[in-house]
Amino acid sequence: MKETRRDFLKKSGGCALGMVSLATQMHHLGAMSAMAQRVLDDQANSPDAGYKALVLLYFQGGNDGNNMIIPNHGDATISNYTAYSAARNNQGLALTQTQLAATQINVPRLGNLAYALHPNMGSQTQNGTTIVNNGIHELWGLGKLAAVVNVGNLVRPLTKAQYQSSSFAKPYQLFSHSDQVTQSQTANAKTQAFTGWGGRVSDKMTSSDNPGGLIPMVTSINGAQLFTAGQTTLPLAIADANTPLANVLNPAGFTGTGGPARLTAFNSLRTLDRSSNYVAAASNVTQAAMDANNSLATAQDVTTLFPNTGLGRQLKQVARLIKDSTALNVTRQIFYVQVGSFDTHTSQLTGQGNLLTQVSQAMRSFWDELGVQSMQNNVTTFTLSDFCRTFNPAGTGAIVGSDHAWGNHMFVMGGSVLGGDFYGSLRPDGTGNYYPTLTFAGPDDADTGSGARGRWIPTTAVDQYASVLARWYGMPQDTASLATVFPNLPNFATGTFPSLNFLP
Amino acid sequence: MESRISRFVLRVLTAVALVSVFGLWAMAQDDPDPNSPTPILITEATSTRALAQSADTASRVPSNKIATSQAFPPDSDIVIYVADLALMEGEGANAFRAYATDGQNHIYSFPVVGLEEVSAAKNLYAMTIRLTDDSGFWDTKPVGDVALYVTWRGLASNTARLGIGHISSDDVLTDGSKPMPLGTTNLGNRTSPPTLTRKSGRNITPDFVGYRFAADRRRFLEQATFGPTQALDDRIRRIGLKTWLAEQFAAQYPSALNPYPNQPLKPANIPADCDGEQTLTPDVPTTCFRDTYTLYPLQTWNSFESLYGTAPLRHRVAWAMGQIWVNSGVDVQQSRHMVEYHKILSNNAFGSFRTMMGQMTLSPTMGDYLSMSLSTKNNPNENYAREIMQLFTVGLFMLNQDGSIICVEHNPCQTGDTPQPSYDQNTVNNLTKVFTGWTFCAVQASCPNVAVGALNYIDPMLLNTANHDLTAKTLTSYTGSTTSNVAACPTTGSTSCTVTTGVTATQAAANTVTYANASMNQALDNLFNHPNVGPFISKTMIQHLVTSSPSPAYVSRVAGVFNNNGFGVRGDMKAVVRAILLDPEARGDLKTDPNYGKLREPFQLSTNFLRSFNVRSADGTGLSDGYLLGSGEYRGMGQIPFFSPTVFNYFPPGYVIPNSSLIGPEFAVMTTGTSIQRANFMNRMVFTAPALPITADSTTGGGPRGTSVDFSDLQALSTADSTGGQLVDELNRRMLHGTMSTQMRSTIMTAVTNIVATDTLNRSRQAVYLVATSSQYQVQR
Repeated sequence: MKETRRDFLKKSGGCALGMVSLATQMHHLGAMSAMAQRVLDDQANSPDAGYKALVLLYFQGGNDGNNMIIPNHGDATISNYTAYSAARNNQGLALTQTQLAATQINVPRLGNLAYALHPNMGSQTQNGTTIVNNGIHELWGLGKLAAVVNVGNLVRPLTKAQYQSSSFAKPYQLFSHSDQVTQSQTANAKTQAFTGWGGRVSDKMTSSDNPGGLIPMVTSINGAQLFTAGQTTLPLAIADANTPLANVLNPAGFTGTGGPARLTAFNSLRTLDRSSNYVAAASNVTQAAMDANNSLATAQDVTTLFPNTGLGRQLKQVARLIKDSTALNVTRQIFYVQVGSFDTHTSQLTGQGNLLTQVSQAMRSFWDELGVQSMQNNVTTFTLSDFCRTFNPAGTGAIVGSDHAWGNHMFVMGGSVLGGDFYGSLRPDGTGNYYPTLTFAGPDDADTGSGARGRWIPTTAVDQYASVLARWYGMPQDTASLATVFPNLPNFATGTFPSLNFLP
Repeated sequence: MESRISRFVLRVLTAVALVSVFGLWAMAQDDPDPNSPTPILITEATSTRALAQSADTASRVPSNKIATSQAFPPDSDIVIYVADLALMEGEGANAFRAYATDGQNHIYSFPVVGLEEVSAAKNLYAMTIRLTDDSGFWDTKPVGDVALYVTWRGLASNTARLGIGHISSDDVLTDGSKPMPLGTTNLGNRTSPPTLTRKSGRNITPDFVGYRFAADRRRFLEQATFGPTQALDDRIRRIGLKTWLAEQFAAQYPSALNPYPNQPLKPANIPADCDGEQTLTPDVPTTCFRDTYTLYPLQTWNSFESLYGTAPLRHRVAWAMGQIWVNSGVDVQQSRHMVEYHKILSNNAFGSFRTMMGQMTLSPTMGDYLSMSLSTKNNPNENYAREIMQLFTVGLFMLNQDGSIICVEHNPCQTGDTPQPSYDQNTVNNLTKVFTGWTFCAVQASCPNVAVGALNYIDPMLLNTANHDLTAKTLTSYTGSTTSNVAACPTTGSTSCTVTTGVTATQAAANTVTYANASMNQALDNLFNHPNVGPFISKTMIQHLVTSSPSPAYVSRVAGVFNNNGFGVRGDMKAVVRAILLDPEARGDLKTDPNYGKLREPFQLSTNFLRSFNVRSADGTGLSDGYLLGSGEYRGMGQIPFFSPTVFNYFPPGYVIPNSSLIGPEFAVMTTGTSIQRANFMNRMVFTAPALPITADSTTGGGPRGTSVDFSDLQALSTADSTGGQLVDELNRRMLHGTMSTQMRSTIMTAVTNIVATDTLNRSRQAVYLVATSSQYQVQR
């Protein structure tokens, strides 16, 4: 009887993830290597056999994209600096054109009009702060950084009229942190999903692309995240670069009196009492850690200087893993890193400013290190966030902030990225532009009436954005695979999205 | 006449005295037998195949003659038969769950849609289940033979085979599984239940625990405190659970030897004599920065209370409530700010939920954390309004009393249905308006704790009348809601909030205060009376105290008590806590339901461990001051006390464990990385003594004194029994309330006896380390 590969992988997937005892796993190791050979044979015919990685940089709390990519032109046919300033200046949330001068960008898709990145994303000199590098603004000019504008959670495309009608499906619990985070990480705004799209991509590809991988395809440097969880993928989650890779999963103290016997017992206890699903689940996590630990012992450090910030240390740890990828026998990797505290209901100018400095400096160090490793073309870094923030400020003066909103702007960075431009979609009815119309109660604002606060209805769904990234990564593009990983994608314009091809 | 009266009085008095004595004695013996019988899933006479029939089959009378060697269509309703139950009044279908495991070890959950008694004499019930996986997790559907079992009160039935779509020859059950047919089983009056085996499981013998009630007592203490101790165990053995609860409800809090650390309020801008910099401007006292601008005082106080406190139940409930009403040192600056917030948690842990809602809403610490202190009519801030609904009271979706979600299309929901939201953005906007205008109180006359140069984080926030929104507001609407609209404040007449004929500016301001407070109370009543609050709070509290995935019936019983404590009072947390802890799903001996229990969160793991071994200061000379090796210990394990990363707590209540369909909130902080840190924490505590070197600080009275454990009693056991058996058995009793399997015991014994018998310290450490790091101990069940 010929076993289909799918059947076989299903079974071995379950086994590798510790659903059966250690002894049984040992038994399967022989079978695993046979499978590995078969898949390698397949790969030899694949045009796409090199290493690739996706790095998700999550802006936790809802980043105010309105102050990250700002119109800095006077063109009257599209929302310009005056429109921006008029809405934000009175309460003190507008960045000035003087501040924006050094981080200007030009946008070919919009007739080379001038926009600007947040000033902290350029090169900076600050008293008392060591500036590690020139930030990511430079990469725009080099064509290695792109922006995808007005992206958000959607079940289907929505015009403003459709949004106001009850007969068109909308994401559940708009404007709520936990739900919008869940939706962006699961790429499913229709129903509560239990797996993330990173995890599902890994479910599809682990056995074909990382058949003999010594660590899981997905790694979080920021704890357990829904994005990383799959049906069969149990992700790795490790500490940041403060801990060397050799130590992140290394249990201490199995030396001295009775040490070896203790280690033996420590390991075999995980094979027992698995009739309790919670005991088994805890054992599976520890087992995954112990499996990976053996492979990480010899990992080398990287040479580029990273800023000593939360994000700097996370991306440095990612860079170490990429550097070690050959030894870890993985050709595809997905990483999750996060930078927090974007929920700037108050004191946004300082708060967001510091965070974007951190983002820009850390991303640039990561980019430079990938250059040292000759991996720039193989790694694509992209951002997501809970949601954007209200264009209308909350509060006023020094403590000014903003509230929860919807459609937001994202960065994509990488050597393969067709950078230096905006990507996105027009409104479903073909009107609008590749940047929201900055008008309260206007055509892009979900709010209406005099209290409208500027919550942009997204013109590009997270599902679409994610699908472009997954396609580049090599995810199978057959209908069944796409339906599993991005179930709502067919609700959007089918096939490719020409204005969204920020990757080949 | 007189003497007769006296005699009568005397007789009455004697009777009263006797009744009193009897009453006390009766109170101690008041706890019912906590054990529930193990349900039996009836099979065919000679096979392990479940006795089953299609639900639409006319005859419901089961007999061994029912032809069951058949498969049932996917998604169809079928009737199976369950025996040996002891149902309480009102206990029905939602007390049961049905699970099936397929050949790939995927676990599916089948809705139990009906339960009816077939024969009282035989204690036999017909259970209708729908063959549709409602875990929603797997792409695959159960097809062919599956291993079916039902669970009830944390107990699993035997496993029986069931064909879905077709009967397959795959053997999903091990040979150890036995037929459990009608007739051969002595239903309703069995004395010696048969031993059952499920695939890849150990033997499940309902009488596994020899000292039945002792094990349950220990587990009760795991649920109700920060870990069992011998003293608590003895106390409960003497007075019983109910009396102990009554005693705890009345116990002084915080413990007499551990008052709240009430550091004075300091300016938000850190002064030079309290900034931790000691050279240019020395701090006064030297620990000023640590004790003011970090949470060190609160964290060590909290640990101390957890390790030694005499009111552990209140402390545990406050800890759990603090993970619903979350506040965090990520934003909160001073220890005292957080202390004041903790007082609201602990004061109301056994009080009225409604009272706590009011105090939390006006808490300056909460007002700071969720921005309400900055929300004004011209610049409203939605943060608090949204989170009080989403996280603190009603939750996102409409709920039945048993905690199940109501869908737009059906109730209960069916596959593909849309959950019905509890509120929308419009509600958030309106509630935001209600909460505008309050801020830190700086008015000496109204607030005794005004401190010059520092914001007042002690007195409730006070209304700035100029900043309150006076327009009409629409609140949440639900069946029975009577308070769903707040009218605008009048602009004419004597209650006007603005100056008008006969109303001066002073009177208008006073009217605004009255209006704003009435509006806020109305809005809080509106939320408090929402039918979601009972199931929402009850289920979350059960998850924190007892089990991650409680049965709907358990949630419903507790929510029923939330809704009405028996005396017509809603939101009586004392009654809710009692209902959670005395429920038959919480009580009883060994729980065999594979989905019963919860992962210990890092803080609980630590305190349960420490309390097991005579926790003391690092040098062993006195009490620990609650300081562990350093904050890095909890950071490494993913849970720094009072530093939840966001308002969503360290872990969300609905977290699903990757690569499984299981709900396990605490698993959100159990990753590959933190699981090793848990083991390394145990390694340091077990093998490093003293755990903390005495520092200069500790000699000047500032601490920390640190924390260590004491194995001297275990060493005595090691000395007494060179086989190591007594040592391991004691750890089984003390740490695992007797749930250690024989295989686990022998694995640990092998490692223990690897060390020479005379090295009693290392034998003790060996055994403690292995139990403490085991998944069996990481999970409280």
